Amino acid sequence: MQSENGFYGQYGGSYIPEILYSSQQQILHAFEEAKNDPEFLAELNKQWQQFSGRPTPLTFCANLTEHFGGAQIYLKREDLNHSGAHKMNNVIGQGLLVKRMGKKRVIAETGAGQHGIATALVAARLGLECTIYMGAKDIERQYPNVFWMKQLGATVVPVTTGAQTLRDALDEALRDWSSSHEESHYLIGTSCGCAPFPEMVAYFQSVIGNEVREQSVAQFGQFPDRLYACVGGGSNACGLFLPFLDDKEVEMVGVEAGGKGLELGEHSIRLSHNLGQPGIAQGFATMFLQDEAGQLQETHSIAAGLDYVGVSPIIAHLTEIGRIQMTYAMDDDVVAACTLLLKKEGIIPALESSHALAGAFKDAPNLPKDTKIVINLSGRGDKDIFNVAKAVQDETFPQFLTDYLAAYPTTQDHKGETA
Amino acid sequence: MSQLAAFIEEKRQTKPILSMTHVVYGYPSVEESLDWMARLMKEGVDFIEVQFPFSDPVADGPSIVAACHKALEQKLDVETCLSQLGKLANDYPNSRIVLMSYLNPMYRFGMDKLAKRAAEENIVGLILPDLPMEQATAYKDACKANNIDPVWLVTPVTPPDRLAMLASNASGFLYCVARSGVTGHSSHEGKVKQTSLDDYLAQIKQHASAPLGVGFGLRERAQIEQLIGKADIAILGSALLDAYNKGGQEEGIKLIKDLFH
Repeated sequence: MQSENGFYGQYGGSYIPEILYSSQQQILHAFEEAKNDPEFLAELNKQWQQFSGRPTPLTFCANLTEHFGGAQIYLKREDLNHSGAHKMNNVIGQGLLVKRMGKKRVIAETGAGQHGIATALVAARLGLECTIYMGAKDIERQYPNVFWMKQLGATVVPVTTGAQTLRDALDEALRDWSSSHEESHYLIGTSCGCAPFPEMVAYFQSVIGNEVREQSVAQFGQFPDRLYACVGGGSNACGLFLPFLDDKEVEMVGVEAGGKGLELGEHSIRLSHNLGQPGIAQGFATMFLQDEAGQLQETHSIAAGLDYVGVSPIIAHLTEIGRIQMTYAMDDDVVAACTLLLKKEGIIPALESSHALAGAFKDAPNLPKDTKIVINLSGRGDKDIFNVAKAVQDETFPQFLTDYLAAYPTTQDHKGETA
Repeated sequence: MSQLAAFIEEKRQTKPILSMTHVVYGYPSVEESLDWMARLMKEGVDFIEVQFPFSDPVADGPSIVAACHKALEQKLDVETCLSQLGKLANDYPNSRIVLMSYLNPMYRFGMDKLAKRAAEENIVGLILPDLPMEQATAYKDACKANNIDPVWLVTPVTPPDRLAMLASNASGFLYCVARSGVTGHSSHEGKVKQTSLDDYLAQIKQHASAPLGVGFGLRERAQIEQLIGKADIAILGSALLDAYNKGGQEEGIKLIKDLFH
């Protein structure tokens, strides 16, 4: 979706420290040129295909459809990307742009670690130095991802300021970029941040929706009636939704993290129920969870990738004008949706993506039988093994961990860890 | 000439360089921060730059970030802050107060109201590092209507045409960021070579009629000496906070005396 000077209605824009102006302009121009350069686009498509395994399938879920007795349920299988999530679409695009700009190093923030891994993968492939900022609390929750980032050669920096989650990691990445802008690119993982990042990330992610346009017509002879996507930062939702923006009959539903409840600090619902307020922070204007004094607040979700305090200005705008309908799913419903998909279809969804499932499953029984819905399965759930085991109260898991630790070599190798 | 620029001009008659010392409002408590501001003004600093804390201060380094987060453990209120600063401005008429914050808390307070209330409390300038001039039409108008100055920042990597635009639009003073990176000591200090500070300031001078303030990374007497004759104000932020954290007000005052003797 084209912005107006970086703005989508009242959201978006570029509110960055003056020191970053030149680098921001450089990205703006480089992206503008690249997306009109057939050679760049050919390389992008080649890497999407050969490195990430695109196109990803559109999978019909016969058992789930029968189970709910309503809409016909299809999944867009972004979980089958290399790295296990849609994040790959964006990092390949920005990675190629970094090479084009002649920079040697990338910086990224990560919450769940999916974007961190995707960045580390592409950095390794393109020969770029890579520094990942991650909240110290997220590192605790998602250590396996941190482990792989380090193995891939990335430097993972724990962020210990503030709430020690994604928002703080983003602040710290911006600070790094303020000093390293001449040789480093800030590889933002979602369609947030200063212009042109929201537009650029949405552009690279739109491969999702563009494939669905072709696949839906090929598989069931029409565009889907309804689309569902979880909304953290908003990149997988932008990717699925934006290519259908002009097809007015296609309805779009975004699902935010309801967390444990609707009290401030217990959820990440920014776009419905008057829980978020307009604000300007972290480089852009959007709806933020904040107090009346304009201080950004803590968020919660069982899915680390959804607990961001702001949201894509594109999604905020499309919600405001009524093009996207927003809803939320609570932690418990999310685990139930995840479990149902496992049992009915033999697919392991990420907890983030399980929000989209939960939102769709609520509607599915009430929709006519000829309704076709496509849910963006943005990532696979292997990474959530510890959290899901805890949520379903698996009895054997603690014993496994105890035994594993007992057999673990005591001289631990701390190489590659930085502070 | 704006009241801020006039004050600088007058003070510069007798001083080769003016001092601006930074304090985080509410750190470690509101009372202690006000006491520290009063002490600085009593000791004769020319300006205090008061930072109203924001949860996500992206242009600041670790010292100031930590102070802001500590300060935000209590509820802070812009209106209360402004009236408390107004009292200080009254009590110490030989110094001036500049308010610095990030956009969001000020945006929530209301930009028109901010300019009006700041002016009423004798705050002479406002610094918002994440508000670029292109997005600031309403803010500039509000400042103008209330006769206070929005302070703009330029940096060593600001492109020449933009530097010219910012410098020629500056009133009050122009905040010249001395180097890439965030405030204070940090793991993110710029490694890139940049033009010498002298060349940089000379280039700015070509376009700016407003006085020049220089900040970011100042912590030694030699750096202040280097600025004499080239800039009007030396801005002391993280170094002063680090001294304060080390040995309280006395350590802070000692640093100021060392730097500005």
